[in-house]
Amino acid sequence: MEQSVMDKLIILADSAKYDVACTSSGSSRAGRAGMIGSAYAPGCCHTFTADGRCVSLLKVLLTNCCAFDCGYCVNRRSNDLPRAAFTPRELAELTIEFYRRNYIEGLFLSSAVLVSPDYTTELMIKALTLLRQEYRFNGYIHAKAIPGTSPELIAQLGLLADRLSVNIELPSERSLGLLCPDKARRSIFSPMRQIASASAASSRELTVYKKAAPFAPAGQSTQMIVGASPESDYQILRLTEGLYQKYSLRRVFFSAYIPVAEDTRLPALDTKPPLLREHRLYQADWLLRFYQFRADEILDEENQNFNPYLDPKCNWALHHYHLFPVDVNRAPFEMLLRVPGIGPTSAKRIRAARRQASLGLDELRRMGVVLKRAQYFITCRGFAGAHTEAGSAGRQRIVRALIDPGAFNAGCEQLSLFSAPAVQQLAAGGMAPRLAGKLVQEEAITCLAKAI
Amino acid sequence: MFGQSDLEQWLCPAHSLPAGARYAPPAQRRGSARPVRNADVVYRYDVGFEGFLCCVFESFSSHEVPFAVWTPERETTTLYPVKQIETDPQKAGRVFASFAKKLGKDTERLIMTCFLSGRDDKEVLMLRFLHLAYATGPGVLALLGHPDVAPMYAMQKHTAREVEKWMGFIRFEESGGMLGAVIHPKNYVLPLLKNHFCNRFPEENFLIYDATHMAVLLYQDHKATLTELAAPLTLPSPDEKESYYQQLWKQFYNTLAIQQRRNEKCRRTLCPKRYWADMTELRDEL
Repeated sequence: MEQSVMDKLIILADSAKYDVACTSSGSSRAGRAGMIGSAYAPGCCHTFTADGRCVSLLKVLLTNCCAFDCGYCVNRRSNDLPRAAFTPRELAELTIEFYRRNYIEGLFLSSAVLVSPDYTTELMIKALTLLRQEYRFNGYIHAKAIPGTSPELIAQLGLLADRLSVNIELPSERSLGLLCPDKARRSIFSPMRQIASASAASSRELTVYKKAAPFAPAGQSTQMIVGASPESDYQILRLTEGLYQKYSLRRVFFSAYIPVAEDTRLPALDTKPPLLREHRLYQADWLLRFYQFRADEILDEENQNFNPYLDPKCNWALHHYHLFPVDVNRAPFEMLLRVPGIGPTSAKRIRAARRQASLGLDELRRMGVVLKRAQYFITCRGFAGAHTEAGSAGRQRIVRALIDPGAFNAGCEQLSLFSAPAVQQLAAGGMAPRLAGKLVQEEAITCLAKAI
Repeated sequence: MFGQSDLEQWLCPAHSLPAGARYAPPAQRRGSARPVRNADVVYRYDVGFEGFLCCVFESFSSHEVPFAVWTPERETTTLYPVKQIETDPQKAGRVFASFAKKLGKDTERLIMTCFLSGRDDKEVLMLRFLHLAYATGPGVLALLGHPDVAPMYAMQKHTAREVEKWMGFIRFEESGGMLGAVIHPKNYVLPLLKNHFCNRFPEENFLIYDATHMAVLLYQDHKATLTELAAPLTLPSPDEKESYYQQLWKQFYNTLAIQQRRNEKCRRTLCPKRYWADMTELRDEL
């Protein structure tokens, strides 16, 4: 039976939706006469799905017919699933028509491995060439580089796309060998290295020759699945830090494992996706990229996993309480960034404003600095820090301001997906979720207050 | 110029002032020629940036900050005397020329963005800011925590954020070779959206209709014009091809959500419901 474009779109978007990356940032390109589209460096979200994720690109697979058999993936060879493939023209037309209506910021083209990595990449190059040259598309394109593709083809792909990505999928070689027998660690890291060096070379060339061809100007990103294999948070964070430093990645995405297949090597089908853990990883990832933290400051050999009740920054502050309070009018920028409640935006505002005048609490408030947590960690003009009562009561008050209410099912009658494991266990035992949240919260506060 | 002691003077925190005391503009304390006072008077001007510039002229020449500034739409009954401010292009030109010269380009941009804000009291806030700005010079931009400067940044942020949202959430419908979109913004965002869309679709003809302010941004034959309308505009209903692409888009949108991760609150935070009426894929969910 002939498939319509609608059928294909449903099948191929459904297969692509587990890929987390949907950013359109990092590339700035003005529109040009005779073409359609431009690239906006901060990125632009065009809508948000019911699960709260940003949709900025038309994220589809070129085809979901796959030669590989990776345990965690919906599209694996052994899965019984409707299969489809776009022709290059169908895809180009869909992209242009969506783009004209401002539905999307560009195209995210990925693909299952049809026949071989090289064959698939050739098909992708054909589709993107048609879009860029015949349809004169000047917008954002994110293309997936398939592990095992030959370097010549990656070099061609990088000239057509703004961003390339190679998915690491699993955070260690052992898990990769166990779950993806067709992918080797080397086949993932060698394209990554090639993209990093080609991208750096092309940006150097661009500073000299205006007309040099930009190679993946928005850099590269990657993604790994959390919760399908036994790695600790510390291992994942170390790997992430290494990727930023070694391959100058723009982003590392984490995706909480959602069971899609019955497999003895994987968690059972009724396992809930570890969303709280994913959330903590993203918080730590932000600390690495914007807050000048190192991975071994956030976690270490003794504490291999995140504290479910505190975000990583508050956790650090609680364990380094002797370094506080800091004076906002004098503290170095790096220290301002480490105050719970002050982020890069607030820290930059403080840095600019204190050059002109000394700051008190009211100025901070008017500038938009949130003081709920920060008040226990700062001093400023006319304010010597929020003093709490002596003893455990005072310490508990600080902890109460710092803990993450989301982890305790706060304000929800039903069990939230972001509850801490202890809350989930109590609730599974038959306790009302709200009560379970309260109980765990009180216990966590007593416990954490001792750490100060 | 402005000395350190003056800075300390106005920086005295509001909580140390007696209850009910209002912040007084710096000129009053610096003992300059004539103090600026909070006058019990209401200014009324015709909408438009030039009209506002004339209010600035009036406010400075009579050394006062009015109680309120009205446009014909925002008029209500009052016991205060109302001053009708006539628009005089010459006065407006003088005021405008002094922005860049005395306050710097960045301040000029801040003022112009704030004028697009939808806040009812924007003019009074801007007048207060300008009295401070002319006394301080371009350095006024760094007084982020000042009670007269902070509201300006707040207005700028609100407008800029809304522009960013609309850049993504505008939905065009094609009809007879022309792309049309309707938006309901809180701020007057069209001038700030113009460059983005004209740059993105250089070869298209399109119009964006701002239903709140009844204004239209029309881009035709490589030329953009911004006009205000007297009567509301209705766009033609979608034809067959248009409905087909709308169907495809809705289907794509619905396919993308992962049911195991459904999180309505997160969606409403990032895409508030007030935008939904203008978005093809979310209109039906309202």
